[in-house]
Amino acid sequence: MLIKSLAAEWLKMRKSYIWSILAALPAVSILIGTANYYANKSVLTNGWYSLWTQVSLFYGEFFLPVLIAICCAYLCRLEHFNKNWYQVMTAPVSRSAIFISKLAIAGIMMLIVQAFFLLLYFCAGKVLGLASPFPIETVGWMSRGLYASIAISAVQLALSIRIRSFAVPIGISICAAFIGLGMYVMKLGMFYPYSLLTIGIGALSQESLTIAENGLFLAMNSLFIVIVSAIAIRYLSKRDVVA
Amino acid sequence: MNAIVSTHNLSKRYGDAYRVNEVNLEVHEGEVYGFLGPNGAGKSTTLKMLLGLVKPSSGKVVVFGKEFDKNRLSILRQTGSLIESPSYYGHLTGLENMRIMQRLHDVPDKNVCEALKIVRLENHKDKKAGLYSLGMKQRLGIAMALIAFPKLLILDEPTNGLDPAGIGEIRELIKSLPQRYGITVLLSSHLLSEIEQIATSVGIISDGKLLFQGSMEALQSKSQPRIAIKTVDNETAHVLLYRQGFHSVIEDDALIVKEMNDEQTAFANRMLVQAGIDVIRIEERRKSLERIFLELTGKEKSL
Repeated sequence: MLIKSLAAEWLKMRKSYIWSILAALPAVSILIGTANYYANKSVLTNGWYSLWTQVSLFYGEFFLPVLIAICCAYLCRLEHFNKNWYQVMTAPVSRSAIFISKLAIAGIMMLIVQAFFLLLYFCAGKVLGLASPFPIETVGWMSRGLYASIAISAVQLALSIRIRSFAVPIGISICAAFIGLGMYVMKLGMFYPYSLLTIGIGALSQESLTIAENGLFLAMNSLFIVIVSAIAIRYLSKRDVVA
Repeated sequence: MNAIVSTHNLSKRYGDAYRVNEVNLEVHEGEVYGFLGPNGAGKSTTLKMLLGLVKPSSGKVVVFGKEFDKNRLSILRQTGSLIESPSYYGHLTGLENMRIMQRLHDVPDKNVCEALKIVRLENHKDKKAGLYSLGMKQRLGIAMALIAFPKLLILDEPTNGLDPAGIGEIRELIKSLPQRYGITVLLSSHLLSEIEQIATSVGIISDGKLLFQGSMEALQSKSQPRIAIKTVDNETAHVLLYRQGFHSVIEDDALIVKEMNDEQTAFANRMLVQAGIDVIRIEERRKSLERIFLELTGKEKSL
């Protein structure tokens, strides 16, 4: 059943303008970050790591949360338009399959975005002529970033299913990302999905997490994914469908 | 005949107002059931409750003999529907829209071709659905509802937005579905003429209440013929007829008598002429279905 709705979701997304936005935002983050790095070359002396501080700051704190919100809003906008909720909700698939397939599509998109960002980072470093070897930690940052992105996707999907507007959930994500910065500074980052992204991606601190911290990181993200999905699926099951 | 759909005191309340009030619908296998009612009577809400899109405030829905709440997926697997206006993804072609439904219903390619052919969209299948005319979108919606060739097809105002030629075509299509594919059709409309031409059974709903339910013939038999007698002096004639046991009412300068057979008519005529009242015209008048519908729904007052 999940495969059926996943296949259907994939068909909806395949030919869509969303992919150009998915490509554009990481590119913008890299451009701004690289320009910043280049302008402050005298103080940023740690090669690849210094470049990461610049590019991941814009990416993890602003562009990625916005991108996740756009993806999720788009996934729901498809259904809010042209009474498609009626079609979706009368298809012979369970409501959980509907939500989980959307979350899975968001996850696949995030995977592609992360991979693309990493590729761009590599290219930027090469263009700048960084001599030191490519830092292998980036793969860990990207994987953790991906997992945190899925937790945020669950939240954003739930919001976008509830809110018909395209822009409002995106606005909420921007606010949430800034609040996340505050939570991170107050050392409460582990308990808030948008700060988990900051931690996971190594945007503000490139020190590696301890095993315990890694465990907590995984557990908290999993917890958010499960709880928010359960709430969203319950909402889909209980409410009257308005399309 | 098996009841494909039955509802038991089905109600939907918003605040204090009942949108649907204790409706007991019964749709039998092989029927084209016309669900008729003025705008805002609760047709769509009722159909949505049959599909689980709206949760009933009370009462229950039974489809294929199974309670909906407990058998949602197995019922939906054998049900096709088109609610309000057609659903489609505008950035995809007609065919791609069909493919999405194909995935969800897990049906073979030939169903897609067949459904597109039935609604005559096969030549437009590679055009973006967003660029379709309203009529084409409606056809696509019907094709998507038909894709699994379900046992039950629920269509909400299926001829909305179609031109006269398209309406005729869709009408013929819907009429043919029970014999051709064994599909039972439940469709709603606010147009009596529409239902009259398609349906074998009728349910009439107004202000959330089911006012009539039965075969099309049963509805038509409500339109009993009445005899209209026009005389030069209707007042006196009225009194004379009354003395003979005929209850008449004066309507548009004629006397209307219900249930009068040929002999009684001849007798009344002779009696009036002998009393010196010239009879100008005697005619049979039939109440139109339109009139019956308006009387049932009580909507004539507001017109």
